[in-house]
Amino acid sequence: MANARKGDGQTALITGASTGIGLGLAECFARDGYNVIIAARSEGALKEIAGRLSRENNIQATPIAIDLGVPGGGDKLAAEIRARGLDVDVLVNNAGFGIAGAFDAQDEEGQIGMIDLNNRALVELTHQFWPGMLKKKRGGVLNVASTAAFQPGPYMAIYCATKAFVMSFSESLWIEGRGKGVAVTCLCPGLTSSKFHERAGTGGLRLHTLGSSMTPEKVAEQGYRAFQRNKRVFVTGFDNRFLAKLVPFMPRRAVLNLASFVLRAA
Amino acid sequence: MLVTGASAGIGVELAECFAKDGYDVIVTARSEGPLKELAGRLARQHNVQAVAIAADIGQPGSGAKLASEIKSRGLNVDVLVNNAGYGMSGGFDDLSAESQLGMIDLNVRALVELTHMFFPDMLKKKRGGVLNVASTAAFQPGPFMTVYYATKAFVLSFSEALSEEARGTGVKVTALCPGPTESKFHDRAGTTKVRASKIAGMMTSKAVAEIGYKAFQSGRRVAISGRMNAVMARMVPFFPRGMTLGLVRSLNTRYSDRA
Repeated sequence: MANARKGDGQTALITGASTGIGLGLAECFARDGYNVIIAARSEGALKEIAGRLSRENNIQATPIAIDLGVPGGGDKLAAEIRARGLDVDVLVNNAGFGIAGAFDAQDEEGQIGMIDLNNRALVELTHQFWPGMLKKKRGGVLNVASTAAFQPGPYMAIYCATKAFVMSFSESLWIEGRGKGVAVTCLCPGLTSSKFHERAGTGGLRLHTLGSSMTPEKVAEQGYRAFQRNKRVFVTGFDNRFLAKLVPFMPRRAVLNLASFVLRAA
Repeated sequence: MLVTGASAGIGVELAECFAKDGYDVIVTARSEGPLKELAGRLARQHNVQAVAIAADIGQPGSGAKLASEIKSRGLNVDVLVNNAGYGMSGGFDDLSAESQLGMIDLNVRALVELTHMFFPDMLKKKRGGVLNVASTAAFQPGPFMTVYYATKAFVLSFSEALSEEARGTGVKVTALCPGPTESKFHDRAGTTKVRASKIAGMMTSKAVAEIGYKAFQSGRRVAISGRMNAVMARMVPFFPRGMTLGLVRSLNTRYSDRA
């Protein structure tokens, strides 16, 4: 019999788990013995991933195809999980998307959709499972924000604002959970080589001159470790960390100029 | 101009500021009675056109509905004042999902919906702008008022980004960040007994609105009402984060609670 693993007997729910950082995080939890529930929109990809994770790691992996981006989507997922007799010890709020471009040039659907998915669904799910975590004094919440949380983002205004929301929310929750056996971590990745950029339309921006992209596997690995240490906020990459810490001490005018320079289509 | 949440507090005073300077006003809120009274008074005293539209903009999609209602009446919005919003204090696990999600829907979603409806026209006409009422809560996380603080962090980030996008176009964007203010906010938020409301001297809604109005007219990006509030907000980055969070937690809990 193998040695006891950290996650044995616990279940982690990972949203947006069909690709990128979400997939990487599902791998991390599965490897440590957590049963995983993976949620995303695309059923085909999810099923394949669930099969592989359960085979390779000898855990239970449940795929649930769902669109979390509509009001009430988080509540629906929670109901579905309970209907299957499952419980969630660790919640990984990874699902989210961004759209670049001037606010007035965007359709409303995409802008509001970011609020509904990046913020509303995240709060819905957290509110569903947080009380149970406190009661059991274990598990916790790993929220995927972004380095976008550290400064406003002209030409990507809503995305950056949703991430500022996630960071503020997570930091508050961290202290509400402190000393109660539950962990809360806000993972803030910088540039990551994932499908994010396809949807966001950020591929050609000067943003990429800020530094090189990290692989989603590496981001997930670091985020996973930060969560296990109950680190409040974790920024991936030394350069990103440095920049994020510097922002509050720079003149605001300079911050906005820089953000606008890297986000505005050249 | 259009002001939301105009049945009481800062919203009423902001409507007053704009009317005094000759703006025609559209006031909106849920309760029709006080709205009609306000509209009547503003029209009489300042010789402007004042229209009252009762609407609950806390429902998804209702920002768009309000906008079409305004357009169908042949009215125009040059200045949008997103003032409607509420807060709730208490542990995240103790507060109902409904009230917490309602904050996201009103403080964030409706604000973005309305801005998206009117901002493109402002750019086209190269005038007017958006005055968003955030809060000093935007400057740090707020344990025991978790979602409220997060919604205000959203509003501040969004407003600053938008003001940069509007720079040089003739359109103004301002985030007004009041500290504790004498208004009905505290009744609903359940903050009348928390330490925060006892320590800081409360400002009147009128004083806060006047600061916000002036800041907007002079094209300021962010206006924090009250010198002490401004100093505190600016100091946050210099404090160790753990200390800030501990301080806010203690300010947001009641004397009787020992969290």
